[in-house]
Amino acid sequence: MPSRRAFLAGLTSASLTPTLGWADVGNPIALSAALRPDGQHVLVGLTAAGAITFEIPLPARGHAAAAHPDVAEAVAIARRPGTFAKVIDCARGAVIQTLHAPQGRHFYGHGAFSSDGTLLFTPENNIATGQGWIGVWDRSAGYKRLDSFTSAGIGPHEILRLPNGLLAVANGGIRTHPSTGRDKLNLDTMRPNLVLFDASGQLTDFAELPADLHQNSLRHIAAARDNTVVCGFQWQGDPFDAPPLVALYTGDGTLSQAQMDDTALFGLDGYIGSVSAFGNDHYAASAPRGNTTFVFDAAGAQTGAVRATDVCGLCAAPQDTCVVTDGTGRVHWLRDNTLTQIATHPLAFDNHLVALTYT
Amino acid sequence: MRLALALCLTALPAFADVQRAIETHILPGHTALAQATDELASDAAENCAPDAVRPAFHAAYDAWISISHIQFGPIEDQALNLQMHFWPDPKDSTGKALARLTAAQDPIVDNPGAWGEVSAAAQGFTALERLLYEPQTDTDYACRLTQVVATGLADKSAAILADWPAFATLMTTARANDNTRFQSEDEARRALYTALSTGLEFLHDQRLGRPLGTFDRPRPRRAEARRSERSQRHIELSLAALEDLATTMIDSDLTGTRAAFAKARELAASLNDPALAGVSDPIRRIRVEALQRTVRDIQNAVNTEIGKPLGITAGFNSLDGD
Repeated sequence: MPSRRAFLAGLTSASLTPTLGWADVGNPIALSAALRPDGQHVLVGLTAAGAITFEIPLPARGHAAAAHPDVAEAVAIARRPGTFAKVIDCARGAVIQTLHAPQGRHFYGHGAFSSDGTLLFTPENNIATGQGWIGVWDRSAGYKRLDSFTSAGIGPHEILRLPNGLLAVANGGIRTHPSTGRDKLNLDTMRPNLVLFDASGQLTDFAELPADLHQNSLRHIAAARDNTVVCGFQWQGDPFDAPPLVALYTGDGTLSQAQMDDTALFGLDGYIGSVSAFGNDHYAASAPRGNTTFVFDAAGAQTGAVRATDVCGLCAAPQDTCVVTDGTGRVHWLRDNTLTQIATHPLAFDNHLVALTYT
Repeated sequence: MRLALALCLTALPAFADVQRAIETHILPGHTALAQATDELASDAAENCAPDAVRPAFHAAYDAWISISHIQFGPIEDQALNLQMHFWPDPKDSTGKALARLTAAQDPIVDNPGAWGEVSAAAQGFTALERLLYEPQTDTDYACRLTQVVATGLADKSAAILADWPAFATLMTTARANDNTRFQSEDEARRALYTALSTGLEFLHDQRLGRPLGTFDRPRPRRAEARRSERSQRHIELSLAALEDLATTMIDSDLTGTRAAFAKARELAASLNDPALAGVSDPIRRIRVEALQRTVRDIQNAVNTEIGKPLGITAGFNSLDGD
């Protein structure tokens, strides 16, 4: 914690353009939004050992963030149906710019940078039509709004840059309107999907579950080194009638459901909060409403389940480890199907750990 | 067992509230369950005819519903919760599992030692209820199923009770160097509070919410234990059990909590609707809805009067829904 201040105090010039990398801000492996006991919302950097490297105030509750691939800069994006995004210099601990969704659009709390860090992509809702869009912002031009392209679905929630440079978008399928808050307006006809785009917005692949599972809303995604995408769902039907809530996309236009039996699905409220690909072909999925995190092998077979109250954030770390955070301020290591608490902070960690590197 | 545990606990510098909840709420509840299921198993072994087993079934089911909100500890470690009681069950896993065993004439019913390996849905009170309250075409196999389910419930209840003393020690010695399970007093209190708040949520959302459905589409066949007409009774029993836990786990007046519980108990007792079939009747439905709203009042009071003083901000992620 003191290293950043000490380092900054020693800087000879106070350039307004951040050039410090993530290593210069304490080598966090992930970013997380969090709530302090005094009610202040913050964005923190978290190391693999569970230490907090920086803590920066946010103007409202965060959700996830887009992390620049090299520079210690993050864009914290308002949770839906928010319309602002804060560009944060994580070295100086300051908000350096505020982005506003174009008129008639709102954000979904997630975003991603292109591989070279020049472009920022933000999932957006066209409020009038309910169609999903991906906003494109030019970081090198002071985050000038460049363009947007259709997300090929409704309710684009998370966007992710894969190791191969493609963008994966989870279209949750659920239409909402700010006038009715988070009320779900199309549960009978919703049709979620996973779409792959190249950095120019050209659609390269499209995958969805069978029609009878159309109420399984695809919400969160994470990428493995081989570009497999692990998908976490939120079932909109009877929670005790839920199908498997995790699936794998391996690039062939299909989503293959993980194997989760009824006993595993019981008590989850049909709700997966975060997913992660970690270690040697392992996947994790957190179920905050079931206080459980599940582990899957490369074939999608469930190999373990570990319990932690209000668990949600997941991020791959070195040595076949997944770092796990929860709403009670604890940081855990998930390794060999065992959960070990490694740190506690006076914070409620919010939904997601945003990975800074591919391990 | 009970005496030994009490002695063990008083010798420790324990936290009064957690210790009290264990001694006066959890252990008596699990002791009652172990005794009632033991009698159930004996009765079924003696005479497996539904008429003969029903009294012990009701007594044992009462004991289960009165302690089923304690989902942490030995029952969680041994993964026995669903095996004790598989509900809600919209996929009819219980019916399918029993039908599968019957169709195969699976001899596992004669092997109580291996019975824990079958589908959880076939092992619990909801399976026994089917066997005792639905017509059985294969009465011989149903008899053997009845006996093995009853024996299994007794075995599981005994196993849970047997592990509680050691777990109680863990709960009351948080921060001891070798205690990796509970690293602070707060974690032990949080476990109790989670049991309370989850129990209330289950009562509101499932026991009441499932049969209520919507006004346009009530779902009386989703009522818990409707076949044995125990739905209303489960609501009354769980209200009593949850109030006992709430008033045991904290030294405080709990004025609002007690008032809300009293109102809910009164509404529940006067439903006069054992299987909650009245949810389909616009007039009688109003009473069930009023009860559900009162349970929400309890949830709010418990949050204010117990959760906040204990510094518990539950559900930052689980309540977010995004």
